[in-house]
Amino acid sequence: MTVDEDWKAAWKPLQEAVGRDFGDEAVVGADQVEAGLIRRYCEPLEFGCPLHFDDDAARAAGYEGIVAPVSSVLMFSIPAMWNPGDDPLFTTAGRDDQPARSPIKPPTIDVAPPTTGYFATDIEFDFLTDLLVGDTLTRVGNVLLSCEPKETRVGRGAFTKWQWEMQNQRGEVVARVRTGLYLYNAHDSEAPA
Amino acid sequence: MTIDWSQQRYWDEVAEGDELPPVEFPLTVYRLVVASGSNRDFNAIHHNSEFARASGAPEMYANTTFLLGMWERAVREYIGLRGRFVGIKGFRMSSFNVVGETVTVKGRVAGKREDGPLGLVDLEVWSEHDDELTASSVSVGPGTVTVSLPRRG
Repeated sequence: MTVDEDWKAAWKPLQEAVGRDFGDEAVVGADQVEAGLIRRYCEPLEFGCPLHFDDDAARAAGYEGIVAPVSSVLMFSIPAMWNPGDDPLFTTAGRDDQPARSPIKPPTIDVAPPTTGYFATDIEFDFLTDLLVGDTLTRVGNVLLSCEPKETRVGRGAFTKWQWEMQNQRGEVVARVRTGLYLYNAHDSEAPA
Repeated sequence: MTIDWSQQRYWDEVAEGDELPPVEFPLTVYRLVVASGSNRDFNAIHHNSEFARASGAPEMYANTTFLLGMWERAVREYIGLRGRFVGIKGFRMSSFNVVGETVTVKGRVAGKREDGPLGLVDLEVWSEHDDELTASSVSVGPGTVTVSLPRRG
């Protein structure tokens, strides 16, 4: 087997797992949807839509009250980075040292080879229910839709696609999400053991 | 540009080919840090140049949620308060939107249709960024944002 075939072969178990739901546990967003968090979300976007700031304007437009931007569903589904009683996150002072845990890091996939990096490539949404102040979001499921090994300018890895749902506290589906992730080992890095 | 939110766009008035007003987003370190803090994507590739370069990217770059928010703002400013987001397809990030660049969101009406009482509109939306080789190039999309708009009468 050539070196080229060898790295691709490492992804075969994940390719064979297409269709499997890796979302064994529901993931609960850290924070309830709050007006202050919505305001902060809109700030770097300079997004002044009254639906996200003004309760009267939102009600006049047919909502039950201030509504979160649809693009914020990802943010409101991110679990806490740290909770009281957890082990410390920051234990060393190296300039670029990373926290011990990250709530946005893709979960370890038992049948995938270890990788040093990842980034999102694409995303799709079906928006089904409004996300309102007072709601909480839970991420349910994580079905692998596809896996394609590919070498790119940043490294060797695989383009993967996943689907899950965002549900509110009443179990209503707020959004159905499909996202692509490129999982890879950077060209200048050594693959982790 | 100041948006007059009292103005509502109606499904009946929209025509294929109509263009969305472009919205520009200059990307500074300051803005990317505020964005990461606001949307909680703290992956260091979005706020740390050295870390981003070690990952294979040319520089720190805007995260997915921030780029999605740019599309949402551009579309919302076009559809008005009574428009509703139905779905987003084809939000594909084909190149990094790095610090020091300006991202511009553009779009046009790709089609309109009726679904029962709903008046639906498909908007073709994309992001362009500065590029070393060309004046501007598409970095996100083109994708489709489907919205519903109120109807007259």
